[in-house]
Amino acid sequence: MDVSSYLSGGRLQRLCLKELRESLRDRRTVMTLILMPILVYPLLSMALQRLLIGATGSSPTTPYVVGVLEPEQGQVIEELIYQATVLVDNEVPWSIPVPQTNESQSESRKERELKEIERIRLVQVDKGTLRDSLEAGLIDIAVVNLETNDRMNRDAARWSLNAEIEFRQGDAHSQDAAGLLRRLCQLLNDQQFRRLSQSLGSGLEPAVQLRSKGVGEKPDAFASVASVIPLVLILMTITGAVYPAIDLTAGERERGTMEAMIATPAPRFALLLSKYVAVVTVAILTALANLLATWITLSFGGLGRALFGEGGFSLWTLLQILPILAIFAGFFSSILLALCSFAKSFKEAQAYLIPVMLLALAPGLVTLMPNVEFTSLLAVVPLLNVLLLSRDIMAGGPPIVPTLIAILTTIGYGGAALIVAANLFGAANSSLASQATWGDLLRRPLKRKSAPEIGDFALYLAFLFPVLFIVSSMGGYFSGQTALLMGLNAIALVVLFILLPIVWLWFQKVAFRESFGLVVESEPMTSSRDLSVRWVQIGVAVFLLASTLWMFALEGVLFFKSWSLASFVPELEKLKASWMAIPLVWILATQALVPAIAEEFFFRGFALQAMKSRFRILWAIVASSFLFALFHIISGNVLSLEKFVPTLLLGMALGYVAWTSGSILPGMMIHMIHNSIVLLFSRMEKEQLTPWFGSSEHLPALWLIFGGIAAIAALAILANVARARALR
Amino acid sequence: MIRANHLYKQFLVRGQPLVAVDDVSFQVASGEVYGLLGPNGAGKTTTLRMVMGLLEPDRGEVRIGNSEVQLDPISHRKMLGLISTNDGVYPWLSVREMLLYFADLYAVELTVAKERMVQLTQQLGIYSILDQRCSTLSTGQKQRVILARGLMHDPPVMLLDEPTRGLDVVGSQTIFRFIELIRSQGKAVLLSTHRLDEAERVCDRFGLLHRGKMQHEGTLSDLQQATGHSHLTDMFIELIQETNG
Repeated sequence: MDVSSYLSGGRLQRLCLKELRESLRDRRTVMTLILMPILVYPLLSMALQRLLIGATGSSPTTPYVVGVLEPEQGQVIEELIYQATVLVDNEVPWSIPVPQTNESQSESRKERELKEIERIRLVQVDKGTLRDSLEAGLIDIAVVNLETNDRMNRDAARWSLNAEIEFRQGDAHSQDAAGLLRRLCQLLNDQQFRRLSQSLGSGLEPAVQLRSKGVGEKPDAFASVASVIPLVLILMTITGAVYPAIDLTAGERERGTMEAMIATPAPRFALLLSKYVAVVTVAILTALANLLATWITLSFGGLGRALFGEGGFSLWTLLQILPILAIFAGFFSSILLALCSFAKSFKEAQAYLIPVMLLALAPGLVTLMPNVEFTSLLAVVPLLNVLLLSRDIMAGGPPIVPTLIAILTTIGYGGAALIVAANLFGAANSSLASQATWGDLLRRPLKRKSAPEIGDFALYLAFLFPVLFIVSSMGGYFSGQTALLMGLNAIALVVLFILLPIVWLWFQKVAFRESFGLVVESEPMTSSRDLSVRWVQIGVAVFLLASTLWMFALEGVLFFKSWSLASFVPELEKLKASWMAIPLVWILATQALVPAIAEEFFFRGFALQAMKSRFRILWAIVASSFLFALFHIISGNVLSLEKFVPTLLLGMALGYVAWTSGSILPGMMIHMIHNSIVLLFSRMEKEQLTPWFGSSEHLPALWLIFGGIAAIAALAILANVARARALR
Repeated sequence: MIRANHLYKQFLVRGQPLVAVDDVSFQVASGEVYGLLGPNGAGKTTTLRMVMGLLEPDRGEVRIGNSEVQLDPISHRKMLGLISTNDGVYPWLSVREMLLYFADLYAVELTVAKERMVQLTQQLGIYSILDQRCSTLSTGQKQRVILARGLMHDPPVMLLDEPTRGLDVVGSQTIFRFIELIRSQGKAVLLSTHRLDEAERVCDRFGLLHRGKMQHEGTLSDLQQATGHSHLTDMFIELIQETNG
């Protein structure tokens, strides 16, 4: 029974529901889901607020609490503040610089200082507890001594006051409060001095007048604190997924329900899929709970304003981060399932996961470093890409190409890990469970296999995926040397898509030459005449498809290009210009011949045959074509999204050819001719094409109609070939 | 019903090949209880796993009815029920949820599954606890839930892997009654055990496995004739001494 037919009729939903029920009824899952966010965020917020206040001063609304011992002292200080406020309000010239904050840049000096004065609150404290209150942070300034002189004349605002205050060393808020009081005293002294000078009638000047001004940008302590938030969110999402992942795999084995489940006719992939859906759901619920907790903490705790300005941490930012966290949850859940599928007990699974969790912290630390840019290359690094993306979303706007790369690679890694998990989930149970190890994955099998298995392909894909990105990103070093780049690209294709897969298939004892149809198998029931007729039929179909498929590919690209991201187009045009200088033979060899052989070997040979071993042929063709299309839209740092749908359809046509003919050779021929035609057109100038197509960018409708008929005829011939082969 | 022909299986243990099952053949008819006997490590579980289609034999074949298991192992599992020593229950699911989940895994239609659940739980005396969470069940109740689970899809073949290991007298008695019940329903029963006294009580025919090889096969009287001993235990002691010596 194949996976798709088994899961039809709502069975997948029921299986997932069972897994979810099991997870969500478990107290331990609910603890991480609800209690952790409720406890962690307020605590974290308090700690961060403390840290921020210590490092950069307080939020603009936190009061400066001044502790006095007696009510009289309070009155004197109130009077002092009042007099100083009058002076500030009348903008009498004062020489003391007033500190500036991010929020106050647009305000005048007077407005800023008046706001600061408004923050002062007086409280009365017992003598014995004054110092303790200061140290405990209950008050910010302690007035330890205040002596007024009898000569003090308030009406004349002539002051004679000796005051002694204390503040907390190293606490910016307390220091700010002390600074404010110092400024106010200085203001009163200046005014008194000015009056005296006027009454003396002579120009009494201060000894020194110094004006100072800070230059350059103020270091932004908030940015590094703000980048902690994605890290915390990601770690909490991971934490949410860990328990269900262990419980639904190793836990199932520990409880003794695994063997009974594996002994049912349910395909293992279906079982794993239902577990995966449950783990991802719990992880997304955890992410949601954590995002909400973050939002509530940041919005109502005052930290949000300190980090993100007056608007705080908006609900919109939250909604933007959620899909990223969901994609990440999908990726990490498959990694967790792959690891836990091997463990025989809870304890063993935990031992596997702890190093992974610690490893997950390392990229997190990178995002905390200042000036780490979210580039296309970093967008390939798992986890780091999601962290940088979330950081940039919070900062306002992530760059589009790295964002797309990060999303695609995360989905890709997740898919590869899930296939590896499916492989492990079965393997550990079918062999002697107590002796299954990670090494088994890389051990040479005892028996020869007639075709590659999905696990063989998944393991190779897990290796290929990151390597491909690194290789394609390295293309940037050769920009401008297009001919060289094409040659290197062809070498990379041969190595990664033919040579290394052959080594791997040989190691896995796969009879790939027979399974890919590279050698003609003898068919005892078939006469040589029938065989010749079959090859003629295939030849006709190849000719028809090769001469028509390009039309649809070209129209497809034109159609999707019209709504693709316009910013990529100049880049492609620039590439085309440098092509014109390269010899045609070199272009055809590196862009048509080598890709046709390599890609057909890999996608229609390795991928399709491996997927055929697990899925129905239709899904196998679709899945291998999806990979084929994915590979084509990524070239260096440019995403050619307009190529996706046409390449997907081309891949499906080639997959159909490979399946019906039983060989990858006809597909290679079609692929090569198709690429050659497209390349030849791309070398022509618009004027050269006009006599053929007219002035329109599109092909004449008649061409497309005839092309369509020819393609359908080819597919019908191939269906006939397949039927004849099936009969034997 | 079950026909195992010349089964051979070897594993790689730390890179060294280890032959677990070596040329083992036997047959189990419908309504018959066949005891696959042997000490620990004799190859009983590996043989059962090959019969289930969980393991592919390196050589030989298993046939259930008229078709070969290896050609479509997954579809064959519908015809097999499995009860094993280590079987457990889902603590957070109710008995009803667990039984219907397994029926779903065997692709049994929901209405059929519900009818069967009622019938089986009444037979096994656990109908009243259908909506109780499995974590709250007693050991005996859990054991009966596991037996009901194995029969939810009404398989014609039942595989029992050391079903009485770790059970007290009452627990073992439940298993014996269960075996009687499924024998009376005409199912072919393959029982793997190292408890020879129990096997003597319930099995119609026996296969004596030791070090992966089938040493003797037949009814109790066949074995008595072949070995000259009247009890299975004595036959085994001699067998082990012979192969060790």
